[in-house]
Amino acid sequence: MASMRTKPHYLLCFLLLAAAILPSCQKELSNEEAQTPDATHDFNIQFNPVVDGDALVFGDTYTNASGEQYTIRAFKFYISNLYLINTDSNKTYAVNKDEYFLVNFEDNSSATLKLKAVPFTYNRISFLIGVDSIRNVSGAQTGALDPGKGMFWTWNTGYIMAKLEGSSPASSQPNNVFEYHIGGFSGPDNALKQVTLSFPLGEDMKLETGKTTAMTITADANAWFTNPNNIQLSVNAVVTTPGPLARQVSENYANMFTVTDIVNQ
Amino acid sequence: MALVLTGALLTESCRKSDGGAPATTPMSFTIPQGFPATKHDFTANPVTKEGFELGRKLFYDGKLSKDGNFPCASCHQQFAAFATFDHDLSHGFNNQFTTRNAPGLFNLAWQSNFHWDGGINNLEVQPLAPITAPNEMAEDINAVVEKLKQDEKYRTMFRSAFGTEEINSQRMLKALTQFMLMMTSGNSKYDKVKRGEETFNIAEQTGYEIFKAKCASCHVEPLFTDHSYRNNGLAVNSFLKDPGRMRITNKKEDSLKFKVPTLRNIYETYPYMHDGRFWNLSQVLEHYSTGINQSNTLDPLLQNKIPLTATDKFNLIYFLGTLSDTSFTKDKRFVQPL
Repeated sequence: MASMRTKPHYLLCFLLLAAAILPSCQKELSNEEAQTPDATHDFNIQFNPVVDGDALVFGDTYTNASGEQYTIRAFKFYISNLYLINTDSNKTYAVNKDEYFLVNFEDNSSATLKLKAVPFTYNRISFLIGVDSIRNVSGAQTGALDPGKGMFWTWNTGYIMAKLEGSSPASSQPNNVFEYHIGGFSGPDNALKQVTLSFPLGEDMKLETGKTTAMTITADANAWFTNPNNIQLSVNAVVTTPGPLARQVSENYANMFTVTDIVNQ
Repeated sequence: MALVLTGALLTESCRKSDGGAPATTPMSFTIPQGFPATKHDFTANPVTKEGFELGRKLFYDGKLSKDGNFPCASCHQQFAAFATFDHDLSHGFNNQFTTRNAPGLFNLAWQSNFHWDGGINNLEVQPLAPITAPNEMAEDINAVVEKLKQDEKYRTMFRSAFGTEEINSQRMLKALTQFMLMMTSGNSKYDKVKRGEETFNIAEQTGYEIFKAKCASCHVEPLFTDHSYRNNGLAVNSFLKDPGRMRITNKKEDSLKFKVPTLRNIYETYPYMHDGRFWNLSQVLEHYSTGINQSNTLDPLLQNKIPLTATDKFNLIYFLGTLSDTSFTKDKRFVQPL
């Protein structure tokens, strides 16, 4: 009699245990953010403006791939939707999810992003140059997305993803200015570019608990003019609306970033 | 005992709000009988009495313009159903004109896009366009925020509406939006007839029949627009050279297309069309019956114009008069605050 009572009891226990374990097993196998470990690691990105690798100084004269000389007076862009990735173990962790950063090289403090990352070993970093389409249709925003930052079109709702301004003798505009205000968040000509970068010498980056990591990423102004599209100041000194030209410039500047240095303290 | 305690806890937590500021008072939005569901997402920025009153004060405040002379209300006048009375184009800063006719402001909760070319995709960011346009209010949004911060009354009202005294462009825009959303016009004679409270006279009834037969494809009841963008055969103004919706979509097929406007309060919102070129409804009906200009993107429904006899026009104009809603144009909730 006693054995008849305990058998179903054990079966029930086993079933309950299985029910408890199985779902959690499934969670661990996926990359779902619901199971993301805490982002406890101080991870800072320093963006530096360069031209062909050399430090960019506003007002200095540079030459683009078409041989046109130019000086820069403004260089800024939005960074958002950041991820750190390990392609070997197929893990992707979001960094500072739902946050938007306006890197403005006129203001050095904005070029340093102080972020929090999940301690892990990574071999890629990915981020969006610009503001994703959802935010572009979500009404009034604040902080880095405040329209007072000068990166928002009031007559054709949408953010300017990246801005490059300056002057060049090749430009036929008043005062020889050139202005690239690149935007457009929807349709085939959208200028949204999610870029993925590897690290110097193709090496991994290990973020360890208790340490701080400083990554340096250069942004090359010359990239705006070439590869894959040939953009010439003499032909197109002004791009300030969404469309095919803006898309072409965004395809170029998607290649402007290089991770040049990683320091783990 | 447990129930009493729970009840007490619940009421206490309902009364509390963040930062110790008093809780806001929700303002309910009423959908007029027969109207479809709204397009606007009310959950993102719920309308409260405090937000509405702040929005009203902002709407009438010249501070939002560069020289103080151009509040929103200078072009959006309540007695004209919040259009600009008697103006094809409106006046802006430094004796300049706007480039398009100011539309009446009402029933905005049923729109997804704003402006004649639909270039604004969310009501919250619409005010930025006139505020920063150099020929309109001509101000810098950061300068507006600074002016508001200097004003003690605004600091108090921002605190009431949003919990803290922080003033930024987002809060200002949300308050303005709450005010504008409440502007509903759904109590004209036409609406009363639809509700069985009144009847059309002979001219109005005849006009209504003609309307349903010849105008309602684009001016769909009860909002009297289908919110689509169409080329209604207006010849291009050689000075303004307005390409319409194409400016926003970059698509050739959108050339010269403008939003179908509502016909509600049409008597109050003259002159008509995106550039205000028609000063009365007779001219409008003349255009539709004999004036249509051919072009690549002319709306298919207008290829053969809209044949209307003089009697048709007479009756139509009578019917259109039933769309005037004085309960809206005289609604004290929307008047200039003291």
